[in-house]
Amino acid sequence: MSGRESSRRFSAALGFLVALVMCAGGAQASGSPIPHGTLELISDNQWIAIGHPFYLGLHFQLEKGWHIYWVNPGDSGEPPRVTWQLPPGLSPGAIEWPAPRRFGTSSVVDFGYQNDVTLIVPVHAESSVAAQPLAHLGAEIKVLVCREMCIPGKTQLSLTLPIKLQPPAPDVRTRELFAAARKDLPRPAPQNWKISVDDATDSFVLAANLGAQIMQASFFPLAEAQIDNAAPQILQPHPSGFQLTLRKSDRLLKPIERLKGVLVLSGNHSYLIDMPVSKRGAQKNNSSSGIDEMQSSREGPQK
Amino acid sequence: MKRSTLYSMLVAVVICTAPLLVAAAKVGETAPDFTATASNGKTFRLQDYRGKYVVLEWHNNGCPYVGKHYKSGNMQRLQKHWTGQSVVWFTIISSAPGKQGYVTASEENEYLTKMQATPTAALLDPVGEIGHLYDAKTSPQMVVINPQGIVIYDGAIDDKPTTDLDDISRATNYVSRALEQAMAGQQVQTRATRPYGCSVKYSDSTH
Repeated sequence: MSGRESSRRFSAALGFLVALVMCAGGAQASGSPIPHGTLELISDNQWIAIGHPFYLGLHFQLEKGWHIYWVNPGDSGEPPRVTWQLPPGLSPGAIEWPAPRRFGTSSVVDFGYQNDVTLIVPVHAESSVAAQPLAHLGAEIKVLVCREMCIPGKTQLSLTLPIKLQPPAPDVRTRELFAAARKDLPRPAPQNWKISVDDATDSFVLAANLGAQIMQASFFPLAEAQIDNAAPQILQPHPSGFQLTLRKSDRLLKPIERLKGVLVLSGNHSYLIDMPVSKRGAQKNNSSSGIDEMQSSREGPQK
Repeated sequence: MKRSTLYSMLVAVVICTAPLLVAAAKVGETAPDFTATASNGKTFRLQDYRGKYVVLEWHNNGCPYVGKHYKSGNMQRLQKHWTGQSVVWFTIISSAPGKQGYVTASEENEYLTKMQATPTAALLDPVGEIGHLYDAKTSPQMVVINPQGIVIYDGAIDDKPTTDLDDISRATNYVSRALEQAMAGQQVQTRATRPYGCSVKYSDSTH
């Protein structure tokens, strides 16, 4: 080996070492590394209080321009998937998905989140968890992170929480993250809204009478391949509400019974919509939906 | 302004808007015709394959969902099996120059050799003309056309929309299912699904 070659090797090794140290430092900052971001498992309470439900959160921090996906990812991509490893007596519910935003072009449109987002999950704590003083919580996450290209990531998260008989106390370190996550959850549509969905051959027409004029509205469908994600949603405001025309997907070959999704109005106020689809005429809002149905639409195949 | 300038502007406008005016392929309807140059230098026209089943496979060699089916050998097995049954298999690359998955003819030929992939041909579609004609959203999106030239399946390759190689053995392959059912004279049960994968990297792609 020549001297020049060995010095080149040495500097290459040094460079590698420096990169490794930098990489470890970056990961340490917050959570586990995922492609172009970090992910951390957090709890809304300081300890698990026996018999009291609590929330776990998956806190994603993504580099600028990169995004992850909503429960319905849209035309491409896939949502994060979680496999929980929890001690007996702790049972996780489904992810409560915040309202997404659109990413896309004239022909391909996706739904998801960028920058900083926390996906929260309710956890039921039975009395049987009392057997141990500490609970070791684990979660294996598979996540697709995309910008112009997509990178699949897989990471193992863990969190240890004390188990106590005392009533729960919120964890001040995570309070803001949970507050932000809850603020972005879609709410049930108010009872006094009158909403109808009509099947109009090539499109669905969502008509809403809310008692106020609406200048901005977009609809995010929970089921895949019902509406054409990339087609413009045509908003026609009127003094007491609006009408939104949603082009049907070319892949929708059969009539659908209900249209479910999230309606986002100006100011980022979002509402769950779950309406029967009628061939003609208006129907009263009987949106009972709730978040349960929204989650059950996808939890099955994720296991 | 000269009349000829005006005329050429008009032509340019018509050309620019043309892809938007052409109705995209739809299940149950005639597959839109196209002519394309393959990586082997030959020209292929869809119309010439009436009388045969044709499979269209949208491809991007940098996409992890495509990688799942090539690293596992699944796509190559499908290509080999179905071309062996006289099915015509076109791999279509609609990535624009500079975007992920864009390849020159020689790069694609090297890839086919390296991966031991044997489609009938790999069609180069850098302007996205065929992609838009079929409203291809993702790679690997799959389309099956019957001998009468009708689209009988459009959507995902299978029912496991993930990048995990382990999922392939557990998946129901929609393309094989459609071909088997159609060849047996049966109705194709699943005719359209959400085509999972990476977005097709057209020239305006940002995600």
